[in-house]
Amino acid sequence: MTTTRRRLAAGATAGVLALGLVACTSEEEGSVDGPDAEELDGLDVGAMEEFGVGDTFVATEPVEIEVLYRDHPNYPLDEEWLFFEHLAETNNVTFDLTTAPLSDWDQRKGVLIGAGDAPDVISVTYPGQEAQFVASGAILPISDYVDLMPHYQDRVEQWGLEEEIDTLRQEDGKYYLLPGVYEELRYDYTIGMRTDILDELGLEEPQTWDDFADTLAAVKDHEGTQYAMSDRWEGLALMNFASASFGTVAGWGYGDGTVFDHDAGEYVYAGATDEYRDLVEYFTGLVEEGLLDPESFTQDDDQAIAKLINEQSFAITTNSQELIGHRTSMDETLGEGTYELMKIRAPEGPAGDVMGGLRIENGFMISSGAAEKENFVATLQFLDWLFYSDEGLEFARWGVEGETYEKDADGTRTLAADVDFLGQNPEGTTNLQTDYGFFNGVFSLAHGSTTDLVRTHISEEEVEWQEAMSSKEQAPLDPPAPLDEIEREQASLYQTALADYVTQNTLAFITGQRDLSEWDEYVSELEGQNMQAFVDIMNTAYERFQEDNA
Amino acid sequence: MVTDSALKDETGTPDPIRLARRLERPAPTTVKDSRGYKVFTVINVVVLLGVMAITLYPFANIIAQSFSSEGFINAGQVNLVPRGFNIETYRTVMADNMFWINYRNTVVYTVVATVIAMVLTTTYAYAISKKNLRGRNFFIMVAVFTMFFNGGLIPNYVLINAIGFTNTIWAIVIPNAISVFNLLVMKAFFENMPEELEEAAAIDGLGTYRTLLRIVLPLSKAVIATMVLFYAVSFWNSWFQAFLYLDDARLYPVTVYLRNLIAGATTATSVAGGSSDGMTQVASNIQSVTMVLTVLPIICLYPFIQKYFVSGVMLGSVKG
Repeated sequence: MTTTRRRLAAGATAGVLALGLVACTSEEEGSVDGPDAEELDGLDVGAMEEFGVGDTFVATEPVEIEVLYRDHPNYPLDEEWLFFEHLAETNNVTFDLTTAPLSDWDQRKGVLIGAGDAPDVISVTYPGQEAQFVASGAILPISDYVDLMPHYQDRVEQWGLEEEIDTLRQEDGKYYLLPGVYEELRYDYTIGMRTDILDELGLEEPQTWDDFADTLAAVKDHEGTQYAMSDRWEGLALMNFASASFGTVAGWGYGDGTVFDHDAGEYVYAGATDEYRDLVEYFTGLVEEGLLDPESFTQDDDQAIAKLINEQSFAITTNSQELIGHRTSMDETLGEGTYELMKIRAPEGPAGDVMGGLRIENGFMISSGAAEKENFVATLQFLDWLFYSDEGLEFARWGVEGETYEKDADGTRTLAADVDFLGQNPEGTTNLQTDYGFFNGVFSLAHGSTTDLVRTHISEEEVEWQEAMSSKEQAPLDPPAPLDEIEREQASLYQTALADYVTQNTLAFITGQRDLSEWDEYVSELEGQNMQAFVDIMNTAYERFQEDNA
Repeated sequence: MVTDSALKDETGTPDPIRLARRLERPAPTTVKDSRGYKVFTVINVVVLLGVMAITLYPFANIIAQSFSSEGFINAGQVNLVPRGFNIETYRTVMADNMFWINYRNTVVYTVVATVIAMVLTTTYAYAISKKNLRGRNFFIMVAVFTMFFNGGLIPNYVLINAIGFTNTIWAIVIPNAISVFNLLVMKAFFENMPEELEEAAAIDGLGTYRTLLRIVLPLSKAVIATMVLFYAVSFWNSWFQAFLYLDDARLYPVTVYLRNLIAGATTATSVAGGSSDGMTQVASNIQSVTMVLTVLPIICLYPFIQKYFVSGVMLGSVKG
């Protein structure tokens, strides 16, 4: 008898407790503001009481942070790295790493999160990738906790990143990813040209897209080849960086296909706009005049590169890394010093001297489970220090002053005598990345964030190019229009069919298979593919977000 | 000349015994090959040489690329002979301690997994090949069911994690131990074995297990060799299990190592504009080197098992 009664009592207590828990949870859900002191009670073991901008984070007692670590083959993980050693000694922080190889990083991350087995800090996540995990509740709405991260807030405010951060907001108005941030927009992709031929012809670097066409024509005349440029990446990279200067989106940056018309205050479908038409018309012209290889939009990258190296073409879309690869190949086949291949400043277009892009980069997510651990506050403070403070950023990129680098009075950093990185100190016997663990894609976000750090470790030529590019204007950002689950499903049905149709017809127009005089018909065909319904979904979401977050 | 009709009996169907004799008889050396036969032989040889060239060319090209410099590969100038001879990538890959650790892992995983798979598949197949087995259809259905339905990625992960297999060899060697396709091939093979043999064994006093070990298995070398090859190749090439269930680079098989290497070489590390010593041998060269390195042991193994290969699969499926 007594046992039964005891069991009953225990059952009743459990029931009451459960009810209490439910009540607590629903209360918490209601609060959108930052966490108050009570909620964080017991979660602040190791955290600093006073932690503000400019403070170095030092845990008051040892803190271990779980991290899902991306193992990069160019610098395989070594838990003895100075990076870890230094953080353990100076900041009282150690890591419990779960590693996954770079090759299948996203899939592994997805499985771990889906299985509820993800470590507290989930590194290397690109903006947009977090959306798929939001509904599961496995990821912490970090925007509720940024009060605990003074350096982050300071960066957002000082660099005016609010609009960019807004693009991360989900339907509930919160965001779930802390991105790497840039002080200035960082560009890399542009056209690489055989500038030796321009010099020979006495031509200047082209300033506008029209100049660019003239330059290509002159090069083609001079070399007597079939065309002057043959592009790679199926022309998608080219269309992408050209699109902003035509006032639209295209190629890699086409995204869901909607752009915000800032004059009309609503979303429109990019592929049907006049701006997009102008862009297509421009490239159609290049192909018609025989300046751009029509195969640019279909061939393999290897073929495009082979044409450049074999001097069948003289311009190609490139980035700093690829450019070096081409030069190495051309040194071997053409001979060093017999050519000059340089990045040009991206040309201006009808929409002005504008470049698209965001000043946020891949960052990290926090698992929901982390918010119940005793080191939660300390973890956030540490991440704030490492990823957003001047000191943390410099440490992650350059290492320890006096050990891996020296800094002189005017702030110029040089690698220590025995440390090499990217061949900048060939005498050095150790490598900053592989032997010490610095400039690690997991712990050093956005190449160091500040322009000062972003421009270190890169060649003078690249610094010059970046400086030239930095006078460009950033294209206006689209305001947030986060979709709910049902809308997302509906939209993705429309979106894919529309985007396919646009890609297909863009190619047909550019290569001349379809005449541009049929543009209006093409637009009405898009309408037949539910273009308006799709745009309406976006506008509804946009208006709803405006109302909810006014 | 023996005509076709001479081989036929009164009913017009070929007499099997006479036909067999005819086929066994050595070809008379005095008879000249007909003109048609000569033409046929020439065309045959030419066509087959062509097929051989088409099959071998990609492989030879890969080998040539693996010894060439990136510049010539990028310019599309490497065909059968390496250009800009370079063994830097081989040297870098092979100087990495981790490469050998992972290579050893692959060997261990392949051997252990193949042994487990063979034991399980053989015994399962033998049991369900017996028509008098009670519940035989159920056991066949259980196996076949998994060919069409499975739990999905995340439930699998949760399961393997829950039974504590993650970060152990068992996560690699247990989950795919029975390939249903192989199981069915083996079952068909055992079904076609003359029952009389086993009956004789039973009369001589052998039990089920000893019949399997002493009588059936020695007669099944062909199918066993084939299955070993099937399993070994698939375990050798597999990377997905390893990547999913292993967290530690020291436990990876070499396939994951090489996959990661290629990913590192093809993902722009966006280390903008620095000079790039030692990083110039990227993409295509690394890809060919890794292909050569992973495929080599299997190529060495093939000639020894190949003779059983066709007969093994055919025996199971066609006869009977």
